[in-house]
Amino acid sequence: MDIAILIPLLAATVQSGTPILYATLGEIITERSGVLNLGVEGIMIVGALTGFVVSLTTGNPWLAFFAAGAAGCLMAAVHGVVVLLFLGNQVVSGLAITIFGLGLANYFGTPFVGQAAPGFDPFALPILGNIPALGEIFFRHDVLVYISYLLPLAIWLFLYVTRIGLNLRATGEAPVAARAAGIGVVAYRWLGIIMGGFCMGCGGAYLSLAYTHLWTNNLTGGRGWIAVALVIFSFWRPQRAVFGAYLFGGIMAVQLRLQASGTTIPSSLLLMLPYTLTIAVLVFSSWRRGSTGEPAALGTTIEPRQ
Amino acid sequence: MRRVCTGIVAALAVCLFMGQAVAEDLQVGFVYVSPVGDAGWSYAHDQGRLAVEAMDGVSTSFVEAVAEGPDSERVILNMARKGYDVIFATSFGYMDPMLKVAGQFPDTVFMHCSGFKLADNMGNYFGRMYQARYLSGMVAGAMTESNTLGYVAAFPIPEVIRGINAFTLGVRAMNPEATVRVVWTKTWYDPATEKEAAKSLLDVGADVIAQHQDSAGPQEAAQERGVYSVGYNSDMSQFAPEAHLTAPIWNWGPFYVATVEKVRSGEWQAEATWPGLAEGIVDLAPIGDMVPQEVKDQVMAKMGAIKGGERVFVGPINDQDGVLKVAEGETMSDEELLGMTWFVEGVIGTTQ
Amino acid sequence: MPGMRIIKRQEPLGWRSCLVLLVAIGFSLALGGGLLLVRGVDPVAAMGTLFVGAFGSRYGIEDSALKAIPIFLCSLGVALAFRLRVWNIGAEGQYALGAIGASWLPVAMPDLPAYLLLPSMITMAVVAGGMWGAIPAFFRQKMRTNEIIVTLMMNYIAISLLDYMVYGPWKDPASYGFPMTATFPPAAVVGKIGTTAYSWGLVHAFVLAVLIWVFTTYTRLGYEIKVGGANVRAARYAGIPYDRLVIGVMFLSGALAGWAGFLEASSTLNRLQPSIMANYGYTAIVVAWLARLNPFYIAVASFLLAGLRVGVESLQLDMQVPAAFGLIIEGLVLLSVLAGGFFTTYRVTRR
Repeated sequence: MDIAILIPLLAATVQSGTPILYATLGEIITERSGVLNLGVEGIMIVGALTGFVVSLTTGNPWLAFFAAGAAGCLMAAVHGVVVLLFLGNQVVSGLAITIFGLGLANYFGTPFVGQAAPGFDPFALPILGNIPALGEIFFRHDVLVYISYLLPLAIWLFLYVTRIGLNLRATGEAPVAARAAGIGVVAYRWLGIIMGGFCMGCGGAYLSLAYTHLWTNNLTGGRGWIAVALVIFSFWRPQRAVFGAYLFGGIMAVQLRLQASGTTIPSSLLLMLPYTLTIAVLVFSSWRRGSTGEPAALGTTIEPRQ
Repeated sequence: MRRVCTGIVAALAVCLFMGQAVAEDLQVGFVYVSPVGDAGWSYAHDQGRLAVEAMDGVSTSFVEAVAEGPDSERVILNMARKGYDVIFATSFGYMDPMLKVAGQFPDTVFMHCSGFKLADNMGNYFGRMYQARYLSGMVAGAMTESNTLGYVAAFPIPEVIRGINAFTLGVRAMNPEATVRVVWTKTWYDPATEKEAAKSLLDVGADVIAQHQDSAGPQEAAQERGVYSVGYNSDMSQFAPEAHLTAPIWNWGPFYVATVEKVRSGEWQAEATWPGLAEGIVDLAPIGDMVPQEVKDQVMAKMGAIKGGERVFVGPINDQDGVLKVAEGETMSDEELLGMTWFVEGVIGTTQ
Repeated sequence: MPGMRIIKRQEPLGWRSCLVLLVAIGFSLALGGGLLLVRGVDPVAAMGTLFVGAFGSRYGIEDSALKAIPIFLCSLGVALAFRLRVWNIGAEGQYALGAIGASWLPVAMPDLPAYLLLPSMITMAVVAGGMWGAIPAFFRQKMRTNEIIVTLMMNYIAISLLDYMVYGPWKDPASYGFPMTATFPPAAVVGKIGTTAYSWGLVHAFVLAVLIWVFTTYTRLGYEIKVGGANVRAARYAGIPYDRLVIGVMFLSGALAGWAGFLEASSTLNRLQPSIMANYGYTAIVVAWLARLNPFYIAVASFLLAGLRVGVESLQLDMQVPAAFGLIIEGLVLLSVLAGGFFTTYRVTRR
């Protein structure tokens, strides 16, 4: 592959990785507090629809973006109610959130099909956008991509530098000890769920406001599940999520470009590629490393104080 | 518990009452393979249904997202049992299930879209979309400068392959040097993936993007890169005002209305109908202003000829590898078209 | 909550847990009704239509029962893995592999006699589905890979594989290029019981359920699953070969889903085609959990959820409610039953 193809390929990688990156970061925050949320797909699609509808009616993409995040919070809060208030099983509740969210979005979304909403358009960043190669790959996207460059750093700072982040991680690692130390563990889990939901909703909105400016049923197309997988792939570290998301986006972009350049490999086999590679990387990395960084109390329920 | 019981009784009563109220109406049912919210195939059929709904003395309903196979048999059976007079099933995989049900309900009219089987009370129909695709290919062929065109396609089934072939024949009629590159997305409506597929084609040098997808994702990709695009299903120019050359479009309404009218007047017969441009079931969206007038004239002339009976798939036609498939002077039969699984010369891609 | 105290119940709730279940279902139906109101649909009439469509007639019951078979078998398998605390989200893919495995012989050697064809189809389906379950289990035990993700990714791979087979090597030349295999020969079809509409698949499901029940309740291995699920360390300490147990149980879990794939291909579709994938594998997880992993309750829950799918069709036809309403109800029921489970293990008192 020569350079003329490589640069647009990498630029496409960044873009198709971005919605997954938002969602992965959201799931990382949530899981760091000890809560597994398998509802990413459902939360993303509700975010996507909310963003689209708000943008269509108000014409304000920023408002739409934050509305999508808020919708993500709401959906995540349902998960919170079930697993934190009613101590339900996290795996099953997440799955239910996915089913519920897909149903909800498709139920209300039909009238908005076939319309175009205002959204975010790509623009080159001054100076940075003019750097040869790198500029085209990284700095000629829409503003939500630029935000996604800063987000991992912000989340890393939050988790590792701030007091709140420290307590949140403690809740995910050792809730009993954390509680004994006077940390309001349930409140921190709520925080993890809500912050995570916001990012997931934004990831959905990226699909309907920036990647495309369209709405159809099942818009998210399984990207939420990929995000869940990438959390483990990135060992629960925000900085590694970037690589995971771009790797996955990259394989998807390569798969399509292989076809465009006239390969004779059947497309069904090419479509297996991203998933096979995810498994391969996952197996290899968990096998090689002793500890994966999984929060010790992930998926556990916190018993109420007697 | 008592409330639940009264609820059920009330529901039954409502059903009975409604059944009586519309007893004199002709009831028409539609079965769709995807949600109406797919923005494309099922949406287009549902627009046709709305035209039927607007008729006097006719009421319609539909069931969406029905999987091919046993699910569809149950849905069609359910409609027949509920006394629907005409049932339209709009996906290939509904053919055998519908045939089964048709045998049990001789008084109901069954219409199957995109298949080939017939019964005394079951007809089949499809639209010759490939005619409009050919015309859109002519426009695209005239506008390309790189001689590479991109085609974002959903699934390698005959309908899609036929469309790609007709498009390519149209392109090569205007520009014998041009090639059409195909990317399969394996989705009908996933705007992000489809847009990405269009971009991958643009990256290998395509400067016109056509699509057999329900979403306008590929249109957006063309618009952003400042190249041209050909839509599908309906006029997609609102999504890409500067890129959108034209679009082959569906217009099921007149056909559905005419069929229901025939059933009502007792003139309906079970037959295979494959209407096209001449009957208005497929059409070409208005051609954009960027297209030179002489190209428009050529396309319109060809459209007139096709409406007058000229065929699209006329020999000599070579396949992708240059092997002669249709000899000089021969035309492909409808049956051959219905089962087309090979690409014509000029297409780059695989049919798997 | 201020002024409230949450106390773990000392003895099980007994019959009142049924009440909790009913209240939870009622609550979700009420919420669903609210969503119908938003669209201007009369919720009471709609729920009536839903119920009548699913269970209100002989046809409805037949359809729901037939639809319940694949959900039931997948769920039975999923429940087995869940019992061991292994999160098998991959029933969908294991079901696909079962269908692929079952379709190989009728496509390759359609002339085999029934007494050879059917058993070997089942064997192929069980082995293919089982392997698809055992692979993530192997990774889980040997490389500490998370089974949720691997089973999930393998679903996508399985569906692509199925696509590849029916679009490529197995495509019926007489199908006008459409992605499906040729219709199976009669010898490869699991038929109907006598003149009824019920397929022998129902009997398969029943027999398998009894076998699983006996297996989990009366055998040593069943006991080991229970211990292994409750406490891995205790299991290892008691000398239970935990790694092999997990891989074996996941094989069994996948095999059951594979059997469901076999039945669906052989009995309902009579061929392999992409529409065989109908999210049974995911619904199975919902069912398994609603039924608390108990085989008998799984039967009931799969019948109810199959009925929901069937009933929603009537709801669409009669009242033009979108298909997505079924998903909403499914999600809501699961969420509220899950939340309701709280009241069976805890009680809330005033301080």
